[in-house]
Amino acid sequence: MHPNADVLQGTLDLLILKAASLDALHGWGLSQRIRQISKGVLEVNQGSLYPALHRLVKRGLLEASWGTSENNRRARFYKLTAAGRKQLASETATWRLFSGAVDAVLATQS
Amino acid sequence: MTWKARLHRLRMFLRRDPDADLSDELRFHIDMEAAALERGGMPADRARDEARRRLGGFDRYTEELRDVRGGRSLDALRQDARYALRVARRFPAFTLIVVATLAIAIGACTAIFSVINSVLLQSLPFPHPEQIVTLNAQNPDRSNPRFAVSYADYLDWRRSTRSFSDMGVFTGTAPTLLGTDEPERLAGIAVSPSFFDMLGVRAAKGRLFGPEDAIGETSESVVLTDGFWRRRFAADPNIVGQRLPFNGRARVVIGVLPPSFALDGRPIDVATVFAPSSIANVENHGQHTLIALGRLKAGVTLAQAQQDLQAVAARLADTYPDIRGWSANVFRFSDELTRTVKGPLLVLMAAAGLVLLIGCINVANLLITRAAARGREVALRQALGASRWRLVSQLLVESTLLALIGGVLGIAVASLGTRLLLRLAPAGQLPTSIPIDARVLGFALAASLATSLIVGIAPALRGTRTWLSQTLRDGGRTSAGSAHAPRLRRVLVVAEMSLALVLLVCSTLVMQSLRRMLSIDPGFQASQVFTMRVAPSPRFIDTTLVAFYRQAVERIAARPGIQSVAAANSPPLRSSMRIPMRLIGRPAPTEAILSSAIAITPGYFRTMNMRLLRGHDVEWNSPAPTLVVSQTAAKQFWGTDDPIGKHIAFGQRDTVGLEVVGLVADARTRGLVADPEAVIYMSYVAALSVARSLTFVVRGTGDMASIVAAAKAGLREVDRNTPLFNIQSVTAIVDASVAQPRLNSFLLGVFAAIALLLASLGIYGVVSYSVAQRTQEIGVRMALGARSADVFGLILREGAALALVGAIVGIAGASMATKLIQSWLYGIDRGDLTTFVLTSAGLIVVSLAASYVPARRAASVDPLLAMRGE
Repeated sequence: MHPNADVLQGTLDLLILKAASLDALHGWGLSQRIRQISKGVLEVNQGSLYPALHRLVKRGLLEASWGTSENNRRARFYKLTAAGRKQLASETATWRLFSGAVDAVLATQS
Repeated sequence: MTWKARLHRLRMFLRRDPDADLSDELRFHIDMEAAALERGGMPADRARDEARRRLGGFDRYTEELRDVRGGRSLDALRQDARYALRVARRFPAFTLIVVATLAIAIGACTAIFSVINSVLLQSLPFPHPEQIVTLNAQNPDRSNPRFAVSYADYLDWRRSTRSFSDMGVFTGTAPTLLGTDEPERLAGIAVSPSFFDMLGVRAAKGRLFGPEDAIGETSESVVLTDGFWRRRFAADPNIVGQRLPFNGRARVVIGVLPPSFALDGRPIDVATVFAPSSIANVENHGQHTLIALGRLKAGVTLAQAQQDLQAVAARLADTYPDIRGWSANVFRFSDELTRTVKGPLLVLMAAAGLVLLIGCINVANLLITRAAARGREVALRQALGASRWRLVSQLLVESTLLALIGGVLGIAVASLGTRLLLRLAPAGQLPTSIPIDARVLGFALAASLATSLIVGIAPALRGTRTWLSQTLRDGGRTSAGSAHAPRLRRVLVVAEMSLALVLLVCSTLVMQSLRRMLSIDPGFQASQVFTMRVAPSPRFIDTTLVAFYRQAVERIAARPGIQSVAAANSPPLRSSMRIPMRLIGRPAPTEAILSSAIAITPGYFRTMNMRLLRGHDVEWNSPAPTLVVSQTAAKQFWGTDDPIGKHIAFGQRDTVGLEVVGLVADARTRGLVADPEAVIYMSYVAALSVARSLTFVVRGTGDMASIVAAAKAGLREVDRNTPLFNIQSVTAIVDASVAQPRLNSFLLGVFAAIALLLASLGIYGVVSYSVAQRTQEIGVRMALGARSADVFGLILREGAALALVGAIVGIAGASMATKLIQSWLYGIDRGDLTTFVLTSAGLIVVSLAASYVPARRAASVDPLLAMRGE
């Protein structure tokens, strides 16, 4: 198994929103997508995944509907809503600002 | 939303599994993850486990998700309710005991409350019932603030007061309805013409009395009550206008009263207009015979009305010598109707409340025990992430469920209980039916919910205050709260014991009072004597009335099986007449005495088996009417002087009076319990104006039916149109006069028995629990040489100690609580030492008995097994 980092508190929502922004996907698919895109570095703690998904649905950022999975099973698909898209944009900007600032601090020669 | 839709939603709410969707989603996730792991080369079964592990515990997961998903409280409630049902089914014995305890306790409270509801909380069937008041005369020595009112007073009060929009008077009548084989005696009232208007009663059919009925002597109108109209005329729709053949005078039905109409609880068939001339000397202000009601003007208070009326009454008392010193009182009618039952009902309610409290304590104790036993379960749930609030609310839902089931069964208990009460209660004290209406159901629900909180909150808080590691390490044998639980449980059991003792003391005192009442010698012999009232036809007046009674008595006495017959103006123990009189020949003969008087025909003392001490009986043929006085009267009036030959005058102008010819031993006249009073037995010949309708007392051999038949046959020989009614054995009258004490002592006894049973269960529970807790300790003691008997004594002492403390607290409580029942006591002091000692001893004996079984169990502990652990 790859060495991986637990997703930082607070960034899970952002990652889920981003993963769901491409097309509608079920929970397991979202966790796999995050792992794949991060090349195995980011591993979504599965114990937090579903609470997060439901939280986002409740806040109106995601929309959930029952559909059929690629292997023909009933699965719950999550899709980004318009509000979710706006939230994704603003959280992305915030993250960039934050990570840039952290980079800058770390880049300072001591 | 319609009822059906609502019901459907409720059903869906209870049935739908909210976790179904969630489980599907998670199951899908696990399947996908496991498949992926398998593709990575993991064996199938390990892959599944790993996938599960990664998701991290199903149960905890759904719990957390539910927190997130909102609508949580409702889901949680539903889940808790289902869980509670499951728990209830898992411990059937526990559930049965708890539910039965609460059903009995809530049932007792609800039964008493339903009586209170139907007696005290119903308003009068009149508009603005709070304005309706009773108007009473007040005698000079103020011994009776509720004296009947004279017609002359009433007319003056009505004219001169300004606080009342109107006043009215009524009096009971006993008309006889002819026209069928057997003349029927009716229960009637004669009312002043505007009486119904004053009350605000409207006719259900036809009309009530109007201007054409202003004069009672000429009015031919009669109004029927709804009940009589239905019973006698099968609710004939054409009843208005029909002529009814009343004895002596036909009357025309002008209307029917509404079903709700009721006055003071007396049964009423018909109402006619009051004819003042039906009262002898009606113009006399001292002729106190009527019941007066009034309606206060809007905004006038009771106190203002009282002041107004008293001022008028004072002027009248100054004007007319025969009411010198008399005054008047105003009481609210609704209060008057419930005056005699209110106190007993509230005391019984308090007693039932104590039973409920004891039941609550018992159930709380049981729940605490179980919470301790469930320590491990609670700790596990906490470990899995359930919040404390979540656990508390779940335990509360459990206790609420138990209390609600108890409440529903309690309503059934109450419904049975009220039926029993109606059978036991003295006639006329309670309404004919005691409905379980919305208010009663509301009370039962409120009692159940309060109960669930009282019994549930402490165990819930205590049971969830756990220190995880310790509980789990101990294997759940003891919850951390248990270090304190025994102390709380002991306090609860002591409380229970003391409350039970309060009830025990009160009920024992009341029972002893009843026993003493029943052993009272009434001064006459009740067995084989029967009473029946007679209302002579109006054609008998003055001398013919005397002749009628004389003939009737003689004809009845001549019948086979009849030993002795006489008549009096009131049945035994039901005397109510007090008349003013003056003693002749005293230095100051003018002062009027108010004394009890009973009009009798010759043979009364013989029939009742009363002892004539001196002189002789009254006679039919004596030249002037004569008197016989009771021992108390003789002593009170003349001290040690011989009463025979003395004279007593009735009325202002009489200077000669009637001669006392006999002295009779004291007998009870106003109920069994009231002390013998001064009684003047006057020959009926002198009392024609006071009483037309007399009550026969008939002593005979054989059963009641044959004696009554003989009396009827004898009477028919004198007059065919005279019915006999109110037929009763004197034994029944004696019984009825202690019916209320009997009911009180029965109810208190039942409550005390329940309380004692519950309290002994409580002791049993606590001692058993303590034995279970101390098994190891007992094992060690026995290993170190303690004998079985020592251990037995040790445990027994624990029970006895609890009972002793409970008894001490209870004695203190009882010495205060007995104040409430002081008026119920007869011949026994409320601090009666024997009662207190015996009941306390009884309580201790019972608790020793309850500790016996656990003590035996402790004594038979095998030290080896006990010390090994479990």
